[in-house]
Amino acid sequence: MTFRQALEKTPHLENAWQAGLGALRVEDRPHIKAEDTRRLRGSADVDKALQQKEPHANRWDFGIGYRHTNRSKECVYWVEIHTAGDSQVKVVLKKLRWLKAWLAGDGEELARFEREFVWVSSGQTSFTLTSTQLKESAVLGRQHKGRLLRIPNARPA
Amino acid sequence: MTAENTETAENWNDITTLNIQNLGQVREANLTFGDLTVLVGPQATGKSIALQLLKLMVDAGQVQAELARYGLDWSGRLPEFLDVYFGEGMRSVWRPQKSSIEWEGKKVDLAQLARRKRKTKDESLFFIPAQRVLALRDGWPRPFTDYTPGDPFAVREFSERLRVLVEQEFGATGDLFPQKRRLKREFRNLLQQNVFSNFHLRVDKFRSQKRLVLGAGEGADALPYMVWSAGQREFVPLLLGFYWLMPPTKVSRRAEIQWVVLEELEMGLHPRAIAVVLLLVFELVARGYRVCLSTHSPQVLDALWALKHLRESRTGPEALLNIFEAPHTPPMQRLATSVMGKTVKVYYFSRETGRTNDISELDPSAEGEGEAGWGGLSEFSGRANEAVARAVANAEPGGES
Repeated sequence: MTFRQALEKTPHLENAWQAGLGALRVEDRPHIKAEDTRRLRGSADVDKALQQKEPHANRWDFGIGYRHTNRSKECVYWVEIHTAGDSQVKVVLKKLRWLKAWLAGDGEELARFEREFVWVSSGQTSFTLTSTQLKESAVLGRQHKGRLLRIPNARPA
Repeated sequence: MTAENTETAENWNDITTLNIQNLGQVREANLTFGDLTVLVGPQATGKSIALQLLKLMVDAGQVQAELARYGLDWSGRLPEFLDVYFGEGMRSVWRPQKSSIEWEGKKVDLAQLARRKRKTKDESLFFIPAQRVLALRDGWPRPFTDYTPGDPFAVREFSERLRVLVEQEFGATGDLFPQKRRLKREFRNLLQQNVFSNFHLRVDKFRSQKRLVLGAGEGADALPYMVWSAGQREFVPLLLGFYWLMPPTKVSRRAEIQWVVLEELEMGLHPRAIAVVLLLVFELVARGYRVCLSTHSPQVLDALWALKHLRESRTGPEALLNIFEAPHTPPMQRLATSVMGKTVKVYYFSRETGRTNDISELDPSAEGEGEAGWGGLSEFSGRANEAVARAVANAEPGGES
């Protein structure tokens, strides 16, 4: 099953698929750079698609499908573009918990892919690579990528 | 404040630049010095050469006079001069026709510097080298002449300075640490807690030989140099260097000294001890010295990054002191306030390009080479975070790995 087919089987996201980075807000697109854009397998605005169903939830932003050169199946980059301040660490962790719960329920088709949970900073970052906050995030499976997520051709081991 | 110390770094803080091309491992370094300047980068990328060159630019006459005083003769030739100044074999750092140096915007003819003796013999830069542990042998500072002619000038000079300090000021047996007239009480307490663990450092006599020893107090057994911890052996020469820079009088600093170079302040020290040493460096900056550091410690850049943001958000001095777990006493508040007003520059020496990058913004999201990973100091942490995050994300139910 492809990323697009999985989206079409997911409640409320049946029509969310967009080619390339088309589902991202225009202002968010500069934060994502794919090494080979031809390998992008589309994107979905999860936040927007589920706004009506879960208006008060801490919803995650986007899913982006990518076919790495060293994988036969697609990988999904779950991307949250958010200010990266100390006070936001807990907010983004709440969003991650929501995303994981959603993937275990309605989003189960999308949970079958290899994945990365990535927080991309929309502005200044006010913690460092050695900070405890980033360690806390890492043990929950979330990476922080500065202001730019570079999606490489080959998936790191 | 006395007349002697009213001149602060700001007075001579006209922009000072050192530009180096093709010297040793450095292909191109463009350094503009702040009140505090920090050099980072992998081993053997030219940081130490740059700092020793700074000493030579500032103190050429004093260096020549000291070398001559101890009978070193380079016959006015540059290769021999480089060997006696930087150390044996270092003549190869200079590549004729290719190497060049600019100091304060003016080209420096190094061959002429080696040829012609300078009239001025004043010293205005105090250099604390990375090899400072060599300055003590059997617990006593080694004189300049105790080294071989091939040993770097910076090491020999520092060692000699400590010998004179200990012999002249602490000649009679007694405590070197703690000492009421040396360092602020707050520093003494912090050092006691984090470096000496309630031991005293004192001059002692073994038969007729004077030596520095550690002891738990009056009458306690003396612990000679060979049983000190590695950190204590590293720290004692550094402490003596700080003593020399902070005289026990009402004068807050040595008026003739404008610059201090401290290589690898973290050597052998636990992070808590590093924090105290960094606070002592801030004390030097607050006293008006212009300080240049090289470091491999991410902790130093963590502190500078915090200093930058605290300054930008106009936070009070307490926030800075909290980072160091330092007391909020009036002297420490004055110290923190002063440091928050100083300029800080950070340079990354890249092994890949042989060039320096100005990473003073210390932006963890920066794209430029070396800045987000702080010259490689936190890249490892970044990769560790990433590896764990990826593994956890795909180890949970539903994730295929």
